[in-house]
Amino acid sequence: MKRIAIALAVSLAVSGAALAQEKTIKIAGFGAKTGAVRSFGVNSEAALLAAADVINKQGGVRLADGSKAKIAVEFYDDRCTAEEGISIIRRIAGTEAIVAVGPTCSNVAEPLFGILQKKVDDKSDSGLQMPIFTDVAVKGGLAKISEWSFRNVPSEWTMYSSLFYWLKTRNPGAQTVYGGVEEDFAHSRASWYAVMKDRAEANGYKVLGNSKWLLNDSNFATQVREMKNANADIVAIAAHPFTTCGVLKEMQRQGVKPKVLIGLTSSSSMETLQGCAKQAEGIIIPTSFAPVTKEGKFAAETTAKFKGAADLHSMAAWENMFILKDVIESEKVSGNKDQLQADRRKIRDGLAKLKETKGLLGITKRTEDREADKPYLFVQATKGEWKVLHDPL
Amino acid sequence: MDFYYGLAQIVGVHTLLGLSAYIVLLTGQVSLAQAAFFGIGAYTAGMLTVLAGWHIVPALGAGAVVGATTACAVGFPALRVKGLMLVVATLAFGEGVRLFFFNFDYQVAKGGIKVGPLGGEGFRQIRYFPEHGWTTGEVMVFIWAFVLVAMAALWWFDRSRYGAVLRAVGEDELAAQSVGVNLTAVKVSAMTVGGAVAGLGGGIYAHYTTHIEHSNFNVLVATFALAYPIVGGLSNVFGTLAAVIFVQVFLIEGLRDLGDWRNLLFGALIILAMNLRPHGLFGRRRA
Amino acid sequence: MLDLLQVVSDGLLFGATYALIGIGFTLVFGVMHKLNLSYAAASLGGAYCGLLVLKVAAGAPAGLVFLGALVAGGVIGWLVYLTCFHFIPLSNPLATLMSTVGMLLLIDEIIVHVTAGMPQNYPAMFEDVMLHVGGFTLRGDLLLVFLLSVLCMAGLLALLYRTKLGLATRAVSQQAVAAQLCGIRVARVNALTFIVTGLLGGVAGAMIGAAVGALSPLLSAPLTVKGLIVTVIGGLGSIPGAIIAGLLVGGFENVFQLYRGVTERDFYVMLLLFAFLIFRPGGLFAPKTGRD
Repeated sequence: MKRIAIALAVSLAVSGAALAQEKTIKIAGFGAKTGAVRSFGVNSEAALLAAADVINKQGGVRLADGSKAKIAVEFYDDRCTAEEGISIIRRIAGTEAIVAVGPTCSNVAEPLFGILQKKVDDKSDSGLQMPIFTDVAVKGGLAKISEWSFRNVPSEWTMYSSLFYWLKTRNPGAQTVYGGVEEDFAHSRASWYAVMKDRAEANGYKVLGNSKWLLNDSNFATQVREMKNANADIVAIAAHPFTTCGVLKEMQRQGVKPKVLIGLTSSSSMETLQGCAKQAEGIIIPTSFAPVTKEGKFAAETTAKFKGAADLHSMAAWENMFILKDVIESEKVSGNKDQLQADRRKIRDGLAKLKETKGLLGITKRTEDREADKPYLFVQATKGEWKVLHDPL
Repeated sequence: MDFYYGLAQIVGVHTLLGLSAYIVLLTGQVSLAQAAFFGIGAYTAGMLTVLAGWHIVPALGAGAVVGATTACAVGFPALRVKGLMLVVATLAFGEGVRLFFFNFDYQVAKGGIKVGPLGGEGFRQIRYFPEHGWTTGEVMVFIWAFVLVAMAALWWFDRSRYGAVLRAVGEDELAAQSVGVNLTAVKVSAMTVGGAVAGLGGGIYAHYTTHIEHSNFNVLVATFALAYPIVGGLSNVFGTLAAVIFVQVFLIEGLRDLGDWRNLLFGALIILAMNLRPHGLFGRRRA
Repeated sequence: MLDLLQVVSDGLLFGATYALIGIGFTLVFGVMHKLNLSYAAASLGGAYCGLLVLKVAAGAPAGLVFLGALVAGGVIGWLVYLTCFHFIPLSNPLATLMSTVGMLLLIDEIIVHVTAGMPQNYPAMFEDVMLHVGGFTLRGDLLLVFLLSVLCMAGLLALLYRTKLGLATRAVSQQAVAAQLCGIRVARVNALTFIVTGLLGGVAGAMIGAAVGALSPLLSAPLTVKGLIVTVIGGLGSIPGAIIAGLLVGGFENVFQLYRGVTERDFYVMLLLFAFLIFRPGGLFAPKTGRD
């Protein structure tokens, strides 16, 4: 009898422990896995899975009651469309996910943040109350749309400020800048007009003008001719890989060889090298990731095991996972299903409280309007690879 | 639950988009301009609630009126051509309107920040629904009230003498003309009604997404407007609704669990549907 | 003035790629009176398949890549016929319109899945491509594309007017039922039309890849739109019309860009199309037979 009782007690204890073990924290990821931006979604998903795997192998995250929980990641494809992004965030809000990481496209992020509650505790605002921690969508100033939106994307303003400042000492002979901008893409436009152009002038450069083209243009003869006539020392191209490559190839044809060539931060990925490694040789791009630190190398290798490439975007997703782990632990998230909304609120408050976070390149500062001020490097395309050119920090 | 309410909202918006092409298709005209009317309604209604502070109902009404007026004005010259010529003419018009919004700036300062359309950057913060505390369920009911009215009206049109005339023109223009039907009047009126329905749908769409930009109204959207009634069949308005549910609920959300296969199946299943039901899911073979 | 001349010649030359796509649209329309919206995407698909040659034999000459694209284009053309036209009654133009839209989306997505959407480097025809005449420059590779499209036109016209297949094709295009009664296998002629336009499309895709220097799924939408505009301006079913219209659109596009900027460029291209629809609704070379 006693034996049975003990056996029963043991089995109960075991199953109880098993139950406690089975608690999982769900984190949803979403991004584009359809269309021309598919590589972004694939890489973000891989980075999230890889980071969660590392955390889980170390035992998981500690919850409020002291138990450990595993992290489960579910990734959704939003096809880079606003409607589907909204649909997905509502779907995610209906699951047990306590936070969502994404999206890829700025044109999804913008409407998405719009349907969130604008100010916390504003009872008159029926917007969705779900924390979103963006890894990729980089168009400036989006997180201020809602107090539930956070981003861990590089500040182009800081990076290009520093780049032009550094170029001043490295190439003192260069005096003039000419720009190229993908006019119908919100992010590229903002990057040229509000960031590169402005920062070049602030650092004492003379901006001679800029050429414009559209996202899916294929003939750049006129634009490059304008560029050639301007004959600037520095050419800065604010465009995504496909048109960047088209322009670079046309520059080769027309023999335009500026002293310094600068690219858009998003183009510092494999895409550009896949499209035109030869013509991109020498282009300098500021980026918030390169596998230079021990942590960075480890993150890149682990993500590769999940069939994803490490670049500034996917590694932001990796960082987000670890930041969220810290927030879950410091904010004492319960992980109980009946306290889901309270847990989400804790994540939001925790993210809002952060003054700085650990990143793969070093410490990232968090700003008042829920954006990041990330450490960065300057990389240069060299023989079909991105090589670190300079570490300004 | 909110997810399903949200999905129902999308279905509602796309049903309006599809119905706007449906009524034009009845007259045998293939128009790729519906996305343009949709966009015009979206920008009109959005600007009225955000910049002028209007209530949503008159704003949506204004969107429909502006959509209808534009459609009527375009109908006169465009409907002189037929077949592929019309497809390309309306496509060109649609692209023209999209490019107009791409170049359209009209911002005013409101509460410290600038609001309104800003060219390629789009038009953000169209937050009438959340700002007035409407829940997702309430918004769904609101949207479906409009959808049901539009469907009922079109159903009634279809059944009336007007519908018979529309179909007669669609079947055989020459025969219709020879019995005294004024072709231009019929085609332009169908286009106008289509423009009103698209404008209404666009106004709702703007408030659904809270952010609109020129690329929301591109050729692909115009193609889908056309796809719904064709895939659904031209027998009655329910074909269009069925096709919207097929695409938005089944192909997009329902197949989500298939992961990467979903994107590939999207196109493949449309091809399959047309092979199996060339006259549409609910279509009858026309004589 | 030199500026304007340069801009026009740049545009005319690039228009050769539009012309190649336009020929394909116009041929299918001429024979079957149907719109094949997947044509531009299928052409790109063929060009992508050409890249497989480089996978198998790294460093293969560009000519082999183009040959691969040609063959793949023909196969894809036949597949498009089979899946989007063969089983759908000819009396129903709306159904084939939609099936080809489905095909357009499918081909795009297959490309995206294989390449993760990343742009792919495409071999140029030859290394040094610029011809200099004083301050004036011309792209040699585009001159070749232009010659090629003229050659394609000559070949197609010879095929249509000098061979039995051509006779059958023209018979089907004029009166399918009568042709059938005379013992012509209509389905076979239609399939062959698709294979021929597919071969052409493969070449067109490869030439576009070579001209741009890279392929991306982003190209399929603008090429579809431009191809349709070229078809209409050239006159439905007219092969020489498509070529001239292609060059015309390319040239005007660049002039609009020079004077009105890139954001308004396409707007004026659409206005150009409207001008044609109003003043010359049949296009440059309206077919004489009155059948719509």
